[in-house]
Amino acid sequence: MTKKILDVTGLNKHFGGIYATQDLDFEMAKGAQEAIIGPNGAGKSTFFNLLTGYHRPESGTVVFDGVDVTNWAPHRVAHIGMSRAFQISNIFGRLSVRHNVRTAVHAQTDRAMNIFGRADRIGRERTQEILELCGLADKADTLAGKLSQGDKKKLELAIALGGEPKLLLLDEPTAGMSREETQETMALVDGLNADLGLSILFTEHDMAVVFNHARRVTLLHRGEIIVQGTPEEVRGNETAQQIYLGELQ
Amino acid sequence: MSTSSTPSRQARLSGLFRNGALSTPVLAVLFVGFLLVPLVLGEFWIHVANEILILGLFALSFNLIYGYMGQISFGHAAFFGLGAYGTAILFREFTGGTGEIGYFQFFAALLTGVPVAAAGAVVVGYFCVRLTGIYFAILSLAFGELLFFIIFSWYGFTGGDDGIQRLLPPPFFRSEVPYYYLSLAVVAASAAIIWRITESPFGYVLRAMRDNQQRTRFLGINVRLYMWLNFVIAGTFAGVAGALWGPYTRSVAPVLLGWQESGIAVFMTLIGGSGFFAGPFVGSIVYTFIQAWVTGFTVYWPLTIGVIILAIVLFAPGGLLGALDAAIARLRGGESGSDLEAGSGPEPAE
Amino acid sequence: MSLEPNFLFTQLLAGLSRAMILFLLSSGLSLIFGVMNILNFAHATFWLFGGYLTYSLFQALGGEGILMLVLAIILGSAAMAVFGFVCERLLIRRMYDRELPEQLLLTFALVLIFGDLIKIIWGVEDRAVFLGIEPLQMFDTFVNPYYFVIITVGVAVAAGLWWFLQRSHYGKIVRAAVYNRDMVSALGIRIPLIYAGVFALGVGIAAFAAGVFLPLMPMALGVDISIIVECFAVVVIGGFGSILGTFVASILVGVVYAFSVLFWPDGALAVVFLIVILVLIWRPWGLFGTEMRF
Repeated sequence: MTKKILDVTGLNKHFGGIYATQDLDFEMAKGAQEAIIGPNGAGKSTFFNLLTGYHRPESGTVVFDGVDVTNWAPHRVAHIGMSRAFQISNIFGRLSVRHNVRTAVHAQTDRAMNIFGRADRIGRERTQEILELCGLADKADTLAGKLSQGDKKKLELAIALGGEPKLLLLDEPTAGMSREETQETMALVDGLNADLGLSILFTEHDMAVVFNHARRVTLLHRGEIIVQGTPEEVRGNETAQQIYLGELQ
Repeated sequence: MSTSSTPSRQARLSGLFRNGALSTPVLAVLFVGFLLVPLVLGEFWIHVANEILILGLFALSFNLIYGYMGQISFGHAAFFGLGAYGTAILFREFTGGTGEIGYFQFFAALLTGVPVAAAGAVVVGYFCVRLTGIYFAILSLAFGELLFFIIFSWYGFTGGDDGIQRLLPPPFFRSEVPYYYLSLAVVAASAAIIWRITESPFGYVLRAMRDNQQRTRFLGINVRLYMWLNFVIAGTFAGVAGALWGPYTRSVAPVLLGWQESGIAVFMTLIGGSGFFAGPFVGSIVYTFIQAWVTGFTVYWPLTIGVIILAIVLFAPGGLLGALDAAIARLRGGESGSDLEAGSGPEPAE
Repeated sequence: MSLEPNFLFTQLLAGLSRAMILFLLSSGLSLIFGVMNILNFAHATFWLFGGYLTYSLFQALGGEGILMLVLAIILGSAAMAVFGFVCERLLIRRMYDRELPEQLLLTFALVLIFGDLIKIIWGVEDRAVFLGIEPLQMFDTFVNPYYFVIITVGVAVAAGLWWFLQRSHYGKIVRAAVYNRDMVSALGIRIPLIYAGVFALGVGIAAFAAGVFLPLMPMALGVDISIIVECFAVVVIGGFGSILGTFVASILVGVVYAFSVLFWPDGALAVVFLIVILVLIWRPWGLFGTEMRF
């Protein structure tokens, strides 16, 4: 059994001449909880897109838990345990919260193709578990489209969990959240990592979140890794500071 | 669909007509009503009710693609027509044009229409599900018209523009009442199967694809495969309806595959409400009656149905059941909604 | 039916003329879709309505002579443009935030309504215009010179439309609105007016196309349905939002149709459909459209 949940080598992707990632190498150990940071346009989202099969790289490989998933279609990648929560909440607006999560559970348990089973009887316990874990149990029957922004992000996470993932990719999980909600959400994330052993990779702009919840930080800029290390190491790095200050001008 | 929402009116489902349970009582009433029609009304009305049932099933199959999966197909009648022709051609082979068919052969012919429609749906669906939105709509229309042309032109096999005539059921089913109950049995059984499918995990994946196809992919669902399966199921049941149609009207013609016929399913679903399982049946009733009534005194039926569609799209996009549901919700102070997104029946207590 | 060059030449001209009409209609369709994201099912019905209207105007002006026809065409196009403007303000604009199926259904309802309105106003007979033009002798055969008029007009309008969108001030605003509606709005330009204007322009061009085609082809009930389907074919094949694509696709469809009619009269449209199917399968965004994710 491999110890690395992710092993990315030589990943190259460009869009019309602009390199989104250049010869990117990235490794992540199982059970790690890490963050990727970088100014806007650094290639963070593209990186996630490449990992999850939404984009195809020009060259390079993505190995997930020992399996080469380069060029796999998104649904196959999701199916073997790489789950993603999106930056802009990407939920099923006309379904209830419960049904949002339940469908994710069904999809993973291979029961989704079941055309004669009773949807409300399959996966009930797991759905309820996830709802309670994410603090959505009391809103389970609300239409997802009617939730507040913060709750939508929670649902986003809950849906990603439905897939019983091994690796959770979180795209700015606390964007738009109040301080309280941020704390709640990141406590949940910590718990998932500590109790369930989920590997977690998230992108963030909120540096407090990064420093308090990531054990390793990778700074991405123009598709390349500039610096990698503990939060303190990255914070202290001169190049990193320049990049951030430079971008702020 | 519902528009309100202050947090205090949150979604605890309560009351008799909970989110999504509107179709159940409606269907129960309809079923009892349909059962009683021959006991209470005369032959003319039995004939009308028979048409309502068959076209209602056709519209219901359409709504699998539209209401549940979120795509609009303008070529759905192709499968209705294929079902009709599958049955009709076998009829013709068995009777050799004399019009006398045996009971066993009759049922064999009825059954034959179904796989023909299914086969058509497999082929057409394979291509259509690669697209969505307007492209799906146009491709489905193009295939529908292509199939229409094939049937229309293949004079030797399908009778071309003449169609196939003299589809007389065997003696017992030749009178209104027995054929009516046959239709009712088939339609009710089909509706029950479709209901089961829509309340299955598969059914909810359909709704998810409707709401957010991309996200569904990221759940691990092979979207194309699921869309294809649903398309085939929908086409198959359209074929069931088509198979019943031929002997009912005693003939089939190429127009059964055309876009006008597809339009009927669309109109019925829209009038009844695409957000409700029972919507297409309610729409079938209303559409059939209005059409019979209006064509009785004017030739401008397109104008009439056009105005009705306009009014519904502008002012009551949820159709009749949508309006009813909203009214009930207002009375009860709860949320309105449709069973397509919340499921019907009580969630079992933990 | 012979395959002599003369005959083929005539068919080619017929095909090219039809292509021009398809182009004029499809460019309006494509423009409306590009700017407002509305697929106007009723576009060819506006076209038909415009044709009947132009016919009546022509009769009212005496019913004779090219000059009167031109006048009738101008008046008819203008009137229909106004009609289109009104339709947009009253009905179409309610559809902008709606789902695609509802948009399609609304415009389809208009097809039914306007179709019957034509029937009510003008009855069921065809309307045609005879200009009594002398056939021209070309290459051993006699050709209706009006074909060339149509082709020239079509190319002229194409050029004019291209110039409008690429070079003129208003054209640039329209194109900008396609890409970024909010930005244009933020610049103080009133989006609703742009939408209404574009719709009116599309309808006006459609009516113009009908008027121009009157001497060649009678206006008849039901023609709008087959024409709109061909227009869809053109826009799909050429690619939504590309004038060049629309032009090329129009020629393709027009010529294919004209020649298919020789071999398979009932199925000429089926051949067009076959091409649509092939394009949608192989390259759904069209020959000249921008690649999209499905």
